[in-house]
Amino acid sequence: MVSTKEKIYWNPLVETLAREKLEALQLKKFKRIVDWAYGNSPFYRRLYDGAGLEPGDIKTLEDVRNVPKTDKAMLREVQQREPFPYGDALAVPLERVTAFRQTSGTTGTPVYQADTWQDWEWWSECWAYILYAQGYRDTDRVFVPFGYNIFVAFWAGHYAAEKLGCEVVPGGVLDTEARVLKMKELECTAFMATPTYVLGMADTARHKLGLNPAKDLRIEKITCAGEAGASIPSTKKRMEEAWGAKVYDHIGATEIGAWSFECTAQPGGLHVNDAFFLVEIEDIETGAIINEPGKEGKMIITALDRFAKPCIRFDSKDVIRWADTECECGRTFRIIDGGVVGRADDITKVKGVLLAPTSIEEVVRSFSELSDEYEVVVSKRGDVDDILLKIEVLPEYETGQEEIVGRLRTQLRVKTNLGYRVEVHPCGSLPRYDVKAKRFKDLRKQG
Amino acid sequence: MTAPYEIDTMDALIKDLRQAAERLLDIGQEIEAVKRNVDRILSSLKMLELNISDVREFVSRGSNSPHPQGTHH
Repeated sequence: MVSTKEKIYWNPLVETLAREKLEALQLKKFKRIVDWAYGNSPFYRRLYDGAGLEPGDIKTLEDVRNVPKTDKAMLREVQQREPFPYGDALAVPLERVTAFRQTSGTTGTPVYQADTWQDWEWWSECWAYILYAQGYRDTDRVFVPFGYNIFVAFWAGHYAAEKLGCEVVPGGVLDTEARVLKMKELECTAFMATPTYVLGMADTARHKLGLNPAKDLRIEKITCAGEAGASIPSTKKRMEEAWGAKVYDHIGATEIGAWSFECTAQPGGLHVNDAFFLVEIEDIETGAIINEPGKEGKMIITALDRFAKPCIRFDSKDVIRWADTECECGRTFRIIDGGVVGRADDITKVKGVLLAPTSIEEVVRSFSELSDEYEVVVSKRGDVDDILLKIEVLPEYETGQEEIVGRLRTQLRVKTNLGYRVEVHPCGSLPRYDVKAKRFKDLRKQG
Repeated sequence: MTAPYEIDTMDALIKDLRQAAERLLDIGQEIEAVKRNVDRILSSLKMLELNISDVREFVSRGSNSPHPQGTHH
């Protein structure tokens, strides 16, 4: 037997399954979840009847493309129906529901998500794959600096860490200073947070507590979620240097589940958990399915084992692309290159050029002379689009401010093909965020 | 180095466990403490089915393991 210390897979049977067998497993599960949804959810039955589809029509993975897609707008609409508050996408009797969560509402009315105890076990099982792949073991003491609430965020990470045998410290309502001090006192080895908060905690440790997180604490690994930062090389580097720890990304969503993760090999992308999810990439313009590496499209995803409120062929609006490399970790789960590179509804045209907010972050965070915070405001000046970038120059670099701004503007133009007005603000004056940051503001959409 | 995974045996034991849990639910569901705890057991069993039983038919016989349990480089 290999020892626990040497093991790298949560479940080697599925994580190293040959690709064709993984696909056969996905097909089997896809047929099962469609059959379940058709038989138990009035919403899905209406959807499939309307398309003339019966579950038995699905015989191959190609047939999956004939199954109607769902999206957040449909889920919002359907939750106006009974049973309250979920609507008839629900596929179990209401009394089987044991947990309520909701989406953040960033893009509109929140979607309410129902989970049974089995689905909650499934959530933490998905997270167990993530944490094990990121090196969490039963010797870890894991701090969760998260305001446990109606958002799913790190709830399942907490339960998964317990499932792995880690010692979990819930850092719920403590403020940032208290959280840092508790992590120091308990010699915690890992924590989970949004990239914004990972940097914010380091900033608090340095400037309010006089601590150097990389030296005075014992954090070895950090799991990020909620924002793209841990897949943006310059932001990841900042976080890893600040904490002297490895930073790993994970992507999930309330209505989908925890569908992808970066492993300890850090292959420049994230594995899709192909055993529990079916991910398709669709060309944004033509709708054609993209299988070749390197070509971006939007993600259509199915949670293969989520039963209370199924998520089948959900158009997440996340823009992703397949990587063309295999991972040295040995997993056969496919890799999405660079994580989620944008959102179909975030990528906006400015001066006729497509602009993804993540590309601005990549440039700004690569400047060590700048603080972690910035803000982008797109507006109209007359008939012309205008991009204002607000930054903070660290005090020790203030004398070279003009040169820094010049270099920044050049690199932004190279990266995004756009010109920027840059405003330098006093260090510490731009808004700070604890969870998801709102650094990109498009005032043109406000009319 | 690598122990074979006895997936058929594991699957059979999972089925036995489900049968036992469902039988317990049948005879004990009037007792809330039985009903609710069996529900949790069945949820955990479902995770074993997702990890083992669902995959069984795709794992080649002989080695019983698609790849050996690897280690970090």
